[in-house]
Amino acid sequence: MSREASSARKAALKDAMQREKIEVLVLFGNNWHADHLRYATDFGIQEGQGIALVREDGTTTLILDDPAECERARLDGSCETIFAPGLVQEAKRQLARAGNHNIAAAPYHLLPYGLLHGEKDLRVQDGAAIIERLLMTKMEVEIAAVRQAAALADEGYAIFRQAARPGRKDYELVAEMESFFRAKGVPENFMIVGVGGQEVRGMAPPGGKILKAGDMVTTELTPCYDGYYAQICRTLVVGEPSEAQRKAFNVYLEAMIAGIAAVKTGVTAADVARAENDVFRKYGLGDYVTSEYTRVRGHGMGLFPDQKPHILEDVNIRLETGMTLIVHPNTYHPEVGYLVLGDSLVVREDGHELLCGTARELFFNPVQ
Amino acid sequence: MRRGLMAWDQAEVPKSALEQRLAVLRAVMKDEGFDALVLYTNIARGASVWWLTGFTPYWNEGLLHVPAQGEMVFVTALSKRVAEWIESVMPAGRVVTTPKPAALISAGLVKDGAKRIGVLELDDFPAGHAKIILETVPGAQLVDATFAFARVRSGSDAVERGLLLKADALARASCAAVELSTPDARAFMAPCETVARLGGAEECFALASTDLGASRAAVRTEAMGALGATFAARISLAYKGAWTRHARSFARDEKLQEAFDAAHARLMNFKPTDMLNLSAVLAKHFEGLGDLVDFTIEQPRGSYPLAAVANHAGNAEGFNPAAPFVLDVELQIKGARWLGAHLVGL
Repeated sequence: MSREASSARKAALKDAMQREKIEVLVLFGNNWHADHLRYATDFGIQEGQGIALVREDGTTTLILDDPAECERARLDGSCETIFAPGLVQEAKRQLARAGNHNIAAAPYHLLPYGLLHGEKDLRVQDGAAIIERLLMTKMEVEIAAVRQAAALADEGYAIFRQAARPGRKDYELVAEMESFFRAKGVPENFMIVGVGGQEVRGMAPPGGKILKAGDMVTTELTPCYDGYYAQICRTLVVGEPSEAQRKAFNVYLEAMIAGIAAVKTGVTAADVARAENDVFRKYGLGDYVTSEYTRVRGHGMGLFPDQKPHILEDVNIRLETGMTLIVHPNTYHPEVGYLVLGDSLVVREDGHELLCGTARELFFNPVQ
Repeated sequence: MRRGLMAWDQAEVPKSALEQRLAVLRAVMKDEGFDALVLYTNIARGASVWWLTGFTPYWNEGLLHVPAQGEMVFVTALSKRVAEWIESVMPAGRVVTTPKPAALISAGLVKDGAKRIGVLELDDFPAGHAKIILETVPGAQLVDATFAFARVRSGSDAVERGLLLKADALARASCAAVELSTPDARAFMAPCETVARLGGAEECFALASTDLGASRAAVRTEAMGALGATFAARISLAYKGAWTRHARSFARDEKLQEAFDAAHARLMNFKPTDMLNLSAVLAKHFEGLGDLVDFTIEQPRGSYPLAAVANHAGNAEGFNPAAPFVLDVELQIKGARWLGAHLVGL
């Protein structure tokens, strides 16, 4: 599938460049923001930084500043790959050699300063218009990869449930998850956790907390398949859930269902967020849908695990057929602490295609 | 995406050690006439901010403002709630969250009246942040501080060496955990990451060169297939922000495996003595076991946790033989490719 998706992306990029009359597209990336590079080269960068120069005829040069990464990229062989410890200087040299083209670059704000400055004749415009829509709205071959990633997220959560036993440290759960994902061929997984009760206000990397009876254990798992990420958010309780925990969970469940029901082509991200947040407001929890307690009510996913559109009441990006999202009303609850619940889906013409299959329930592991 | 153990232990990283680093940096800033220093960080380029604050963002990016005097300020677009967590794992500096980190940094620069602003790796600094600083700080002049920073960072203090000792032990244990009974590369590598993360690794990249007869390139799990007659495991690992690598080669043939083991033992015994002619030194070190084909030496450099600072082609710019380094070696042994990597100089 990787080759098929990669070829489809390259063709889409070439079309978009022709439409916008761009002769060279400069794409920058690293292990945090690997999506732009991956779109054009199918290379999942892990160390260092990289720049891809995509020309209007589709030929691409990938420049990497880490020698081992360069060797790994060359195995694929789908584009010219250059090792250059001075990444920016090499990119400028390549651009200068090609002459004064109509050049666009993305992600523009992250581009190296040296690439845009010091060369009077190098005029580079923001390439967001060319690639952002492509990153957000997927072709069916890309959606197939997201679907696979979601299936892996479901499988992964089953492992997580088994692992979350009293007496275990939070980072031991991560060790089990990562071991499982690597064995399944998943090279990357975005994962954060929360362990505890009312005092827990969010999720973060593990800090060595030991799971004990009564703790809520929250996580979001975000494995990738062929470079495409899908996410699942669930909460479990160590031991029997309290009445307050069950009651709180039901609010999040109702909110997630409302948010997912709002998804269809043509609505905005704000519409989905409002549907989720109205449920919290209905139960007198309106304060807890603000930025004080929650970041987003969901977000796009694809070659980047947290891409646009962010599901927020002030984001008016229109949802398009083929966008892949997670709807997650994750936030702090004043009685029980931070609680998460979220499913990945595809935006369809008249609704959505649900990608996650894990039961929507407050899981618990009995204490022996 | 860092997802392993991230915690601050005062015994491992005393605040006083970070204060000492800052004091040395400020002396260099004064020499260079910098009113302030700005450093960029993300998961790929976290080494410089980590060295000063003990913290690497698990996600997103951040800017560190080092004023000529007063408290360092770490600014990130992560959420306010995450800031509380960062404060619990970052021993030095104040944390501020904002959707526009450069705007907040600029406000601090304006308040201090900073004009001559050192920026680590100015060429690689994100243009969006630079633009905001240049547009909002009257008279701002951005000056590349890469060489200035290298003057204080090329060494390695006792705190860093302590963390590297743990990282090295984890990397060795991780590499030793490979499953040799399987022909499948994923199964071969499967125990490595578990061992590393259970041991408290903050990050672990467990890669394999699955068929050394075909290529020395180390691949990630998605590209792993069947193992060839000779193959290698390559572990890159961080413990509390300190990075190392360890690599080891294996052969299906027993005699060749013995030769591989002997080369690995020799690699582990390498002591940095005469570093003037590295190629000759290394060729001599492995004499009788195999022929030197290539080598690379890596050390932290600027924002990069490990960067190539010397190689077989004769480049050795920025290499500090007095500080620990990762030595990556390729030998030809009995007609077969052999790879090894090890942290030297602790």
